[in-house]
Amino acid sequence: MPRTRALSNHARAVLAALLDAGEGWSHGYELCRLAEVKSGTLYPLLIRLEAQGYLEAEWQQPEEGGRPPRHAYRLTQTGVQLARDNPPDGKVATRRGLREVPT
Amino acid sequence: MSVRFQRRVAELLCAALQFLLPPKQRDWGLAIRAELAEIAEDSQALWFALESFRGLAPRAIGLLLLQPFLSLLGVVVRVSRTRGGLGPEAVGVLCAVGAVCLGLVYMTLAGAPARYLGGNVGALVIGLVLWALVRRASAPVGRGAGALILGLSGLLLATSLLGFRVEGASRWVGFGGVFLQPSLILLPLMLVGYSRTRTPLATLGMVVAALAMALQPDRAMAAMMTLALATVAATRVDRSTLSAFAASLLAFVVTLLRPDALPATPFVDQILFSSFAVHALAGLAVVAGLGLLLVPVMMRRVCGEDGRTACFTFGATWLAGILAAALGNHPTPLVGYGGSAILGYLLSLALLPRPVRRQGAGSTSAAPDKPLPSRDLQTKLTLA
Repeated sequence: MPRTRALSNHARAVLAALLDAGEGWSHGYELCRLAEVKSGTLYPLLIRLEAQGYLEAEWQQPEEGGRPPRHAYRLTQTGVQLARDNPPDGKVATRRGLREVPT
Repeated sequence: MSVRFQRRVAELLCAALQFLLPPKQRDWGLAIRAELAEIAEDSQALWFALESFRGLAPRAIGLLLLQPFLSLLGVVVRVSRTRGGLGPEAVGVLCAVGAVCLGLVYMTLAGAPARYLGGNVGALVIGLVLWALVRRASAPVGRGAGALILGLSGLLLATSLLGFRVEGASRWVGFGGVFLQPSLILLPLMLVGYSRTRTPLATLGMVVAALAMALQPDRAMAAMMTLALATVAATRVDRSTLSAFAASLLAFVVTLLRPDALPATPFVDQILFSSFAVHALAGLAVVAGLGLLLVPVMMRRVCGEDGRTACFTFGATWLAGILAAALGNHPTPLVGYGGSAILGYLLSLALLPRPVRRQGAGSTSAAPDKPLPSRDLQTKLTLA
């Protein structure tokens, strides 16, 4: 079901970070640093985005041996649209170095 | 804290989180554990694990606490289907257990002290024992009902005159360091009992109880009396009932005119709306718990005519309690901290009539408390 409630600034920042990654996959810790959100905020958000079909997640085998597989994330088509419709506000975008997405 | 220890704690937190998460979300717990391995700095890894736990564990714990109740509800539905229905008193007990469990979910998420949780669980256990004892004794709605109601109203009046006083209100009595609110325990029982009896003594008991509520003063309890007695009067128009209703209405007006300066008590008052500020799940638990309190009214069809009035009176009583909690600084029944409401709810359930069963459905089919005309009984047996 489409989300109608206004997204928080944290959610907008995470969406912007995922949008920046484009077709590439992102990881949890990396997203925390890029969007400057705590993992306690990030993971509930990622769970919701995936349940609503805005995010796809997959397990990726590591390039180096001996490391565990990692969970990776990227936006679906509807997720890309959601991110474009909800850019981070100017203050957050400037402070965090995220590019603003034109609507 | 040593580096090795920090890493070990972080891993333990992630393992605990993975265990707590519902099966559908376990992958996310595993994802956080895997991510931890990629963080080189141990203190950052610990911080990452702590934050992840803080963000996801409350919801996971809430769902875990809800699970037994959902399972119990499933069992009840299955039993109800196979046995042709449960009575309002049995369904009410399950609802009481469910509401207290949901209250525990709220209090856990809101960070209430552990002794508050223990207090409500203890009250539930005591209440269940009292419910079984009162239910077994048929006297409360028999010949002695009027005298019993009058006697209980005397206790309420004594509380108004001699009870523990706070900010001009005298509603409590102390037992070994625990403060109970007799009106919240006894008044629902008296109201449901009154809906099933018409003696002058019972009516006098209602008038004395109304006086006690005006003296305490207690708007919530006076409103409870007024709404419940209005329900009785709507189905049983006679001088006694109208007198009791008029007395309760007068008492309610008096409580409205008198000042009520009691501040809100944490985890007791003002939680219906504030619980959503704590967590959406906490708010839902409170709303669902309060909704459960009114479910027994839906079982009125399996009782006789007398039973319907009692069920409606029970519903009006607790609806008034819920509304009072929503509008003022009054205890939020069962989902908030406080044993009095738990005891009061279970005691009032014990006086609800048992279902009129089909012939042959059981060897000891429970009859309604008052003999019914043979034509009515036959109609009910046919419809059952």
